[in-house]
Amino acid sequence: MSETTHPSVPATTSAPSEHAVSLTLNQVVQDYPAPGGGVTRVIGGVDLNFERPGINMLLGPSGSGKSTLLNMMGGVRPLNVKTPTSGTISIDGQPCHGPHDDAVMVFQRYANRPDLSVYDNIAFPFRFKLWRERVPEKEWRARVEHMLDAVGLADKKALHPAQLSGGQNQRVALARALVLQPRILLMDEPFGALDAQTREEMQHLLIKLYRERPCLIVFVTHDVTEALMLGDRVVVLSTQPANVADDFTIHAPRPRSLDWQRSPEAVELSERILEKLHRVSPGKGSLRVTV
Amino acid sequence: MSEFWNPYVQPSPRMRRQLALLSVGAVLLLWSALSGFGVVGPNRLPAPWDVLSAFGYLFWHNGESMLAEATLWSVGRMLAAGVLVVLIGIPIGVAMGASPRINAALSPLVDPFRSAPVVALLPILVMWLGIDEAMKIAFLFIGAVVYLIPMVRDAIQAVPQSHWIGARDLGATPWECIRQAVLPMAMPRIADALIVAVSVMWTYITVAEYVNARVGLGQLIQNARRFSAWDQVFAGIIVIIVLALVTYQLMRYFKARLFPWETHQ
Repeated sequence: MSETTHPSVPATTSAPSEHAVSLTLNQVVQDYPAPGGGVTRVIGGVDLNFERPGINMLLGPSGSGKSTLLNMMGGVRPLNVKTPTSGTISIDGQPCHGPHDDAVMVFQRYANRPDLSVYDNIAFPFRFKLWRERVPEKEWRARVEHMLDAVGLADKKALHPAQLSGGQNQRVALARALVLQPRILLMDEPFGALDAQTREEMQHLLIKLYRERPCLIVFVTHDVTEALMLGDRVVVLSTQPANVADDFTIHAPRPRSLDWQRSPEAVELSERILEKLHRVSPGKGSLRVTV
Repeated sequence: MSEFWNPYVQPSPRMRRQLALLSVGAVLLLWSALSGFGVVGPNRLPAPWDVLSAFGYLFWHNGESMLAEATLWSVGRMLAAGVLVVLIGIPIGVAMGASPRINAALSPLVDPFRSAPVVALLPILVMWLGIDEAMKIAFLFIGAVVYLIPMVRDAIQAVPQSHWIGARDLGATPWECIRQAVLPMAMPRIADALIVAVSVMWTYITVAEYVNARVGLGQLIQNARRFSAWDQVFAGIIVIIVLALVTYQLMRYFKARLFPWETHQ
């Protein structure tokens, strides 16, 4: 019942945004009990190291266990899953168990509160003792106002989620995460449920926000195009069990144009990804390529 | 007529009113005919106009209103029981919903009473609490709370887990998750539970006032029955039905005002 160990973090709230941060996965394995006895290995010994601010894409077919991996990094464990079965996840060299406040998650199903205004939804974390003690009211109010501007919802701050579109709701969720100025931002297919045009808008917004205040982003997607458009680094995961099938960096500046998408570099990367996945786990799960 | 057998097309409000009036009118007409033509005698079925005059008599006679006094007493008992239901039932229900362990411990004590004959508890309550107000309020309380607690528990458990996980990820303690993320989402359904509890209390008010009530709507009906004043019995029953309906509609109204976000979620 007592899993409330939030590792003590220095109380400085205005840490430099370039603050060194590292997120390390060491031989992470996750087994689920399989129906009818035995175990299913969902994640099979993943080694990953993220060392500096950057947008890191975790690309894998649907059902590949990439969300499970992300949840483990966030220390979130729904459905009573023990994470991980073996191996360690550490932040700045410190192994983490259970929830921790170094990383904030953005879910595909934005958990916006229907009874609260846009403003109160973004200010939601400051209802909790942890953040109230860490950030004085005057500062968090200023941060919320700033985030409202940054995500373009300043004129909608009194509205409620039901009065917003899906994209606007996801902006609220993004603002609520970034208002905490996290060093690590974990995004679980955040734009997966949006239409193509809105998704592109959101990708541009993310790039803008990232520039304003870089942090270590781990972004899960099954959309090859999205991975190539956003990533400084793309980690390709195989499926069942998830393993690192490929891992490369992209140096092209963001935002990346349609022309870049059609450039030999992008086309080659896209084919490389599909080819790798096809070889490692043929016929399992599905990827999306939007061109 | 193509929309007659179509559950998804609502008639206009005007048509709904007309249809409601039609059915109530038909029953009144049948009732009037049965007693007017003497098909059923006044000792079995008092005529509508007799019930109406009995209502007038109860409402104002000899410079006092028996009906108002009885209503005040009954409503007062219900209020007392209602406050207890809210103060005791809601926290228990929330605790059971929020912690499966508390639920496992308490549900064998609570759930069976939903289908148990609560009325049979009356003699026991009389034995323990005597025949005065404490017994009546306790009876109303038990009758309502055994419905309320499981409904409140279910309301908490029906909140999507995403709210809990989201708050947990933002660094909330488990209690903060319940208090700040889950409970507010469950409030509309908790309000529904309270509305049901009040309706249940209205149905039990006559039973609660069965024993040694000097004044109250249930007592009023009891008393009239003893003297075979069937017109007064009918008037009393109709008053209770109308009061129950009015409280129900009022609570529904306030619920909609308090949780406007629930309807367009």
